[in-house]
Amino acid sequence: MEIKNQKLSNDDFFAERKEVLQQWPTGKDVDFDEAVAYQKSIPAKKRFGVKLEQAVKDGTTLIQPRAGVALYKEHIELLKYLEDEGEADLLPTTIDSYTRLNRYKEAQVGIDKSFETGRSMLNGFPALNYGVHICREVTSALKSPVQVRHGTPDARLLTEISIAGGFTSYEGGGISYNIPYSKNFSIEHTIAHWQYTDRLIGLYEEAGVSINREPFGPLTGTLVPPCISNAVAVIEAVLAATQGVKDVTVGYGQCGNLIQDVAAIRSLESMTRKYLDQFSFTDVRISTVFHQWMGGFPQDESKSFGVISWGAAAAVLAKATKVIVKTPHEAVGIPTKEANAAGLKASKQLASMLQQQSFCDMPAVIAEAEIIMAEMTCILNKVEELGKGDWAKGTVLAFEAGVLDIPFAPSKYNAGKMMPARDNNGAIRILSCGNIPLSNELVLFHKQKLDERAAYENRAVSFQMVVDDVYAIGKGFLVGRPNGVK
Amino acid sequence: METKTIITGVIGADAHAVGNKIIAFALEDAGFKVVNLGVMVSQEEYIDAALETNADAIVVSSLYGHGEIDCNGLRQKCEEAGLKNIPLLVGGNLVVGKQDFAEVEKRFMEMGFTKAYPPGTSLETTIADLKAFTEN
Repeated sequence: MEIKNQKLSNDDFFAERKEVLQQWPTGKDVDFDEAVAYQKSIPAKKRFGVKLEQAVKDGTTLIQPRAGVALYKEHIELLKYLEDEGEADLLPTTIDSYTRLNRYKEAQVGIDKSFETGRSMLNGFPALNYGVHICREVTSALKSPVQVRHGTPDARLLTEISIAGGFTSYEGGGISYNIPYSKNFSIEHTIAHWQYTDRLIGLYEEAGVSINREPFGPLTGTLVPPCISNAVAVIEAVLAATQGVKDVTVGYGQCGNLIQDVAAIRSLESMTRKYLDQFSFTDVRISTVFHQWMGGFPQDESKSFGVISWGAAAAVLAKATKVIVKTPHEAVGIPTKEANAAGLKASKQLASMLQQQSFCDMPAVIAEAEIIMAEMTCILNKVEELGKGDWAKGTVLAFEAGVLDIPFAPSKYNAGKMMPARDNNGAIRILSCGNIPLSNELVLFHKQKLDERAAYENRAVSFQMVVDDVYAIGKGFLVGRPNGVK
Repeated sequence: METKTIITGVIGADAHAVGNKIIAFALEDAGFKVVNLGVMVSQEEYIDAALETNADAIVVSSLYGHGEIDCNGLRQKCEEAGLKNIPLLVGGNLVVGKQDFAEVEKRFMEMGFTKAYPPGTSLETTIADLKAFTEN
């Protein structure tokens, strides 16, 4: 299959669309013109992009949870609770895992068992099985803008139903919803599927309806070096803009070292703007999202609040446009609505208390941001070179070559040669580069940082450090020290 | 003592891969031969792997909440395939939401699991149990 970073032609797009709308019976309720009219009836204050744009102007950090349950009436109640009691500024509809892998029959089993047992047996909302009209019941019941959040390699029909269903923002991308979320989908296929999603958004834009798009920043959410996740975010922003997307939120998952986290958001924003402008997408609006710690959480709920609040503080001090909030139930998985609201309120306290403060101009942040930007440039230059100027082709070849390589990814198309570990201050560094094309100077920088840690811990730099780091926050620490070392 | 073979993997439509890699590393470190099926493993794949490798136990991980649906029927399939009484261990975040683990454990034991573990179980516990269950 041959992919190019080129706007899909109407002929190609509409031919594919015919097939897509037949993938499940609920596809037949999607009518583009009718959906455009419905979207135009949604007031400005309920449009995701409008609220983000205002937050960018005001320099505020909005808060958003993740949430989704199997039964739609309970899902509406949940979201109302999160916007009222939880004070959420923006709402989600998190899609269940069966739907994400197009396993709609199993999603139906989940819905049926949820009716039987009286509790949600799915880990999210099966929007595609429900279809356009029930999605509209959800989105119209709420005061705040609502976004679809998921992890879906082939999201084409889900996009059709979601936008027609009144959602005004849509998460995902061809890399970020492949590598962390699938085993067997090839990069070519998911880039093509997401070109479809982005082209559909482009068509809505041309019809006068703006839908915000958000590539998924954290990827595997486990010790991902900022230069890698940021490079992926920039690639997905460029690919989306090529298809006509006009509003992009680029994201990053907290690592826990404040200087690195602020630097990661600043470098993400400036490099996204730089590359979009380089490709002449100067009219594409950008905002940023900071995800609170995506790794293992402490079991104790009070300790969880510590982790949640640290993420909220870092997001505000980095001046991220929004922060995705975790909950005190994270160690066991899906939270109750009360736990979700509690995480939101703790985050809201910090978002408003710290609004006037910023770490963006700290010299240490600026220095760390320069390093991240230099690393991103090495990676993106190589992607461009491999693709001979075409970033879609370049991405496929980059994964084959391990030039893009995401740690701990389930995808068989990910090389898995690159290994990260924390340095002595908890910043994420590169333990082994694999084929990530960093300059010698940058490779040496990472080696020196990790040698410092090894000396402090009196052990060799090794995979055991990485294992210890994975467990560390759950045990109350940032850096995974061996026994006997503080 | 003969090396015991353990099948590991994350069941169903679950893509959580980090814990899986760590479990495989730790079990190998503890002296087991590990056949790691990775993520998104079907019941049939566990059974085929166990038959092919003459495995001594199957360790199922489930992190995304659908464990109750995905694990149902695994024991019956094992019995039908001739893997009589093979130790079946399961752990992770087995259900949607914070539930009383005694209740959750009961459901999984009724499904035919040898052992079900709550969130936060240490690797040492699993390793000790596996050594006990796979002793001849």
